[in-house]
Amino acid sequence: MAEKKIPRVQKCIAVLWPSFMVAIVATGLFFSAFDPVDLFPFGNETGISRLGVYTLGFFAFWLITAVSGVGTLYFAVTNCLRTNADKQP
Amino acid sequence: MDAPESKGTAAPRQSDEQVTQSLYAKQEKIYPREVHGLYARLRTLGVLGLLGIYYITPWLQWDGHQAVLLDLPARKFHILWFTFWPQDFIYLAALLILAGLTLFFVTAIAGRIWCGYACPQTVWTEAFLWIERKVEGDRMKQKKLDAMPLNARKFRIKATKHAVWLLFSLWTGFTFVGYFSPIVELGRNVMTFNLGPWETFWIFFYGFATYGNAGWMREQVCKYMCPYARFQSAMFDKDTLIISYDELRGEPRGSRKRSTDPKAVGLGDCIDCTLCVQVCPTGIDIRNGLQYECIACSACIDACDDVMEKMGYAKGLIRYTTENALEGLKTHIIRPRIVIYAIFLAVIMALFTYSISQRVSLGLDVIRDRNRLYRETDEGLIENVYILKVLNMDAAAHEYELRVSGIEGLQMYMDLPEIRVPGGDVLELPVRLRADEAELQERSTEVVFELVATDNPDLSVTEHARFLGPR
Repeated sequence: MAEKKIPRVQKCIAVLWPSFMVAIVATGLFFSAFDPVDLFPFGNETGISRLGVYTLGFFAFWLITAVSGVGTLYFAVTNCLRTNADKQP
Repeated sequence: MDAPESKGTAAPRQSDEQVTQSLYAKQEKIYPREVHGLYARLRTLGVLGLLGIYYITPWLQWDGHQAVLLDLPARKFHILWFTFWPQDFIYLAALLILAGLTLFFVTAIAGRIWCGYACPQTVWTEAFLWIERKVEGDRMKQKKLDAMPLNARKFRIKATKHAVWLLFSLWTGFTFVGYFSPIVELGRNVMTFNLGPWETFWIFFYGFATYGNAGWMREQVCKYMCPYARFQSAMFDKDTLIISYDELRGEPRGSRKRSTDPKAVGLGDCIDCTLCVQVCPTGIDIRNGLQYECIACSACIDACDDVMEKMGYAKGLIRYTTENALEGLKTHIIRPRIVIYAIFLAVIMALFTYSISQRVSLGLDVIRDRNRLYRETDEGLIENVYILKVLNMDAAAHEYELRVSGIEGLQMYMDLPEIRVPGGDVLELPVRLRADEAELQERSTEVVFELVATDNPDLSVTEHARFLGPR
């Protein structure tokens, strides 16, 4: 089993770390284009400050990018398993 | 200098050393030995300088405000006399491209100088290693401490180390947030326990990241997580500055007495003291050749030079060199890739400087009133209503004059007696335009708003808009 050879902690970091970096870039791009204040056209009733919206936005982006990373990892590992299975007689 | 620890074997680690399942990969814990010498002094200088810049910058004042404040809550970046708005994002992007290109350029010439001297990972790891040495003692003491079973003394020492690390990390997190939120106010809020939830969160988040990366992960960040470490070899060629062991001179390695003539016993200059391995923060043996784990910190150079001096041999068995120089060929500093990087850098830097110098600190947005396309006045004129957003990006207040053109006999009415905007502020200005229907050629005619500061004709912007009529 090729999958077992990659420790779980390495898989976690392989997903969480690149998605973290991309989430930073995405947050920067998104919030330089949109002011959180304008995102609530009927008044911000939650009382969350701009800094709070940035923070939540960052984690939302991180979640999305991490989900994509999990998909990539899943396909990469399962493909790898299939290729290895083909090779074996 | 301490006596070399083990002789006669090139095996870098002794079997009794503990193998830890550290955060990332199963591997032996690395205890880098403290090193003294020219490059160690340079690195200390770099570390102190960079840490100083990081911790002091947010406290500097400029013209009555924080000199560097990337004020996220107010959506304005203050850098010395410049104020950047979200509209200026392009400058930030250009700056990042410049930084990237500079890194490529420097890497092609001088190799991984960045990794060894300037990378935050290196800088904070050095600081954490220094704290560790102050609390736990030198390399041998650290190893002994880790090997012993947990007792009161060990617990006390370990607890002290982590407490100091955590305090230092939290201070780092506090400083980090101080770049984005006025630091004096932030400090006051910390003192009075009035810190907002988001600021608190980021101080702890960044503090925890510092503690984890510099205290626990260390060289594993470079080896497994750093993208630059993976692709830097693409910038390398045979003329790039590297740190290398001179195999021709060093081999065959072996221990010998100081008085022995190495040639007589058929040995090279390497006495195989393994000090170069002991000082290595990434735990590699430089004598095995160029390895991607090498962060070019030059600790092995210092360690080896010291030994060579003691043995009475020439220094530089491990040294800064190039692949060409090692093979006895000439090293070329100017070569196609250097020239190409330099041209790119120069062009982008020139464009960046030019556009910053030409930047007009005035913005104008024209929004048509959405409720109604046009209105006919009692006098039979066609009226259109606009909302003008005047953005004064300058630090000083200005008064502006508004002109409009595009239709013959166009009349303009404003509700405000004057257009005066304080520094760094936005003014919403409703404007009504009236035109004679006879002058309109089409249903939609282009009009041009021009806004000029009364005290400085260079501060001017134009903005196009549509004037709608019945035709």
